[in-house]
Amino acid sequence: NSSTAPNSMMHSGIMQAREIDDPPGLREKADALLREWVHMYHQPAAGRDSTKAFSNFVQHMHQQGILKTDDLITRFFRLCTEMSVDMTYKLMSEHGSQHQPLPISVKTKCFQRLDAFVRLIALLVKHSGDEANMVTKVNLLNKVLGIVAGVMMQDHELRDVSFQQLPYHRIFIMLFMELNSPERILENINYQVLCAFFNVFHVMRPSRAPGFAFAWLELISHRVFIGRMLAITPNQQGWPMYAQLLIDLFRYMAPFLRNADLKKSTLLLYRGALRVLLIMLHDFPELLCDYHYAFCDVVPPNCIQMRNLILSAFPRNMRLPDPFTPNLKIEMLQEINHAPKCQINYAGAIQPSSFKKDLDSYLLNRAPVSFLSEMRSTLQQPCPELGTRYNISLMNALVLYVGSQAINHIYSRNLSPNMSAIAHSAHMDIFQNLAVALDTEGRYIFLNAMANHLRYPNSHTHYFSSALLYLFAEANTEAIQEQITRVLLERLIVNRPHPWGLLITFIELIKNPSFKFWQHSFVHCAPEIEKLFESVAKSCSQQKP
Amino acid sequence: GVAPLGPQPLNEEHKREIRMQESAFNHVPQPSDSERLRLYMPRNPYQTAQHFPQVPPPHSDTVEFFQRLSTETLFYIFYYMEGTKAQYMAAKALKKQSWRFHTKYMMWFQRHEEPKTITDEYEQGTYIFFDYEKWGQRKKEGFTFEYRYLEDRDLN
Repeated sequence: NSSTAPNSMMHSGIMQAREIDDPPGLREKADALLREWVHMYHQPAAGRDSTKAFSNFVQHMHQQGILKTDDLITRFFRLCTEMSVDMTYKLMSEHGSQHQPLPISVKTKCFQRLDAFVRLIALLVKHSGDEANMVTKVNLLNKVLGIVAGVMMQDHELRDVSFQQLPYHRIFIMLFMELNSPERILENINYQVLCAFFNVFHVMRPSRAPGFAFAWLELISHRVFIGRMLAITPNQQGWPMYAQLLIDLFRYMAPFLRNADLKKSTLLLYRGALRVLLIMLHDFPELLCDYHYAFCDVVPPNCIQMRNLILSAFPRNMRLPDPFTPNLKIEMLQEINHAPKCQINYAGAIQPSSFKKDLDSYLLNRAPVSFLSEMRSTLQQPCPELGTRYNISLMNALVLYVGSQAINHIYSRNLSPNMSAIAHSAHMDIFQNLAVALDTEGRYIFLNAMANHLRYPNSHTHYFSSALLYLFAEANTEAIQEQITRVLLERLIVNRPHPWGLLITFIELIKNPSFKFWQHSFVHCAPEIEKLFESVAKSCSQQKP
Repeated sequence: GVAPLGPQPLNEEHKREIRMQESAFNHVPQPSDSERLRLYMPRNPYQTAQHFPQVPPPHSDTVEFFQRLSTETLFYIFYYMEGTKAQYMAAKALKKQSWRFHTKYMMWFQRHEEPKTITDEYEQGTYIFFDYEKWGQRKKEGFTFEYRYLEDRDLN
């Protein structure tokens, strides 16, 4: 299978990084060859892109018997990686101290050798097999990336807290740049190169190599990498891969972010993640639109601004009406009837399958009532990863699935998902039951799952906006209303951006007299809360009645 | 921030992760780590006073901006910032000012007067050139500029 072959090459590379039973004398040979190459690379006679030096060097590799078998080539790469990395550690321990940046001259020395090694890899990849033989080149690249990753993982394990990111960071980014230079041979394998780098970055994700987390974030947010992944590769082929890397990042950070007690290093990583999200919001908002569901699934509930950045994205060709326009009628917007794209199979996340079957049967027959009480216990599965007693992913999937089924149902009756059309249905039974029967924690997670769909004008935004307001209006206790208000408000009192649908929903809640918002006691529970509401109301251009 | 769901103690795996991350924090990547090597002007980050400009002026990466720079500045960029976009911009700006690059001498030449002779292979006359070793402009009379050494690729 051609699509799994590169992957297996990478994994065999990772495995081979642990093999140390080299034939006698190979290390010495590799050492001498690498030294020679570094020397040749820096000679003026090396020619443009070292091509002249390379053809001479390949001769020497032949003479030394390195190119005889694939196994020897692999070992050669492994030894060169180890030697390049060891050289960096040696120079660093001679000249640097733990907390001081490395002197420029030392860094230059490191880079001169690492860059030479990278050029050698790039040239060997480019010239392996015939010019037209793409498979050989791609396989070799995957093999080498696997070897470097394998050497790194082993180094990370053995050196523990004295692990250094620098040599690996340099090798990966420089090799990526080399393989993306404008040359025909390389352009033919561009997509495969991208896949190879995606795979190796995914393998080295921060939860696997936390000591590499900062360099890893630099790698995945590098301008050329983002450009290739999201802009240049046609048909958005790179988008699922890039989304996966962002999920890797969020998932790694979740346990540290959810506790609000951030170490300096986590804070720095968090700021980096915010920057990447801002770049996405500005340059590739459609990526955030298409994958918002998957991202919200892994971002902890308390990371409000992070989630707002994801939810504020909207397709670039869309013009959003100002939510503060008086008498804005959401039903009048064209876009409100279109379902948003969602690249994740959320229905498949509703597990176990017997639960999904019962759910579908309830949606169809609005019976048996016992389903509603069983639903609660199914959702109550402790999730220590996110620090909750509920299965957040299952809740998210359930809410979106029921919501989109409700929308289909309403459209099939030629109605639009407004306050009256959404009421009295199996779908609303489920939502009302969740609002009433869950405890505070469960309800918080449930309401958040709903609020995650208050985004740009689309059918989901319209439905969930109406549904939240309906739950508020029909609530049998003030606690539910207080919690709905809390979920909306806490997303509004943070810095911008704020999702359009969130503003629309909140403005409707405080402006429309039928909700009797200002008569609730939680609005007046404390002077600072009251002031807060007044200032939010003022900014929503509506005076308190 | 707040933890609406209450804090949750980190498990052993997460404690290991945070320990590795904290030690990596002591030597986070620097901008130069992911850039091509700059031999003459390496990055040397330093906290400068806040009233000093922290970022270059806007649009300073356009040819228009480079054309406003002195020729000496352009020569400096050309010789000391090899392989960068700035070098490319400087070359472009120099070409627009009728400087021509000589690929054998690796120096920039400008006609001081109309050449005395022009053939298909060369032109001959008095030229101003920039000597990067002595770092200054010089005049050369009776110089033969062979066209095969003329760098004439379109910079666009």
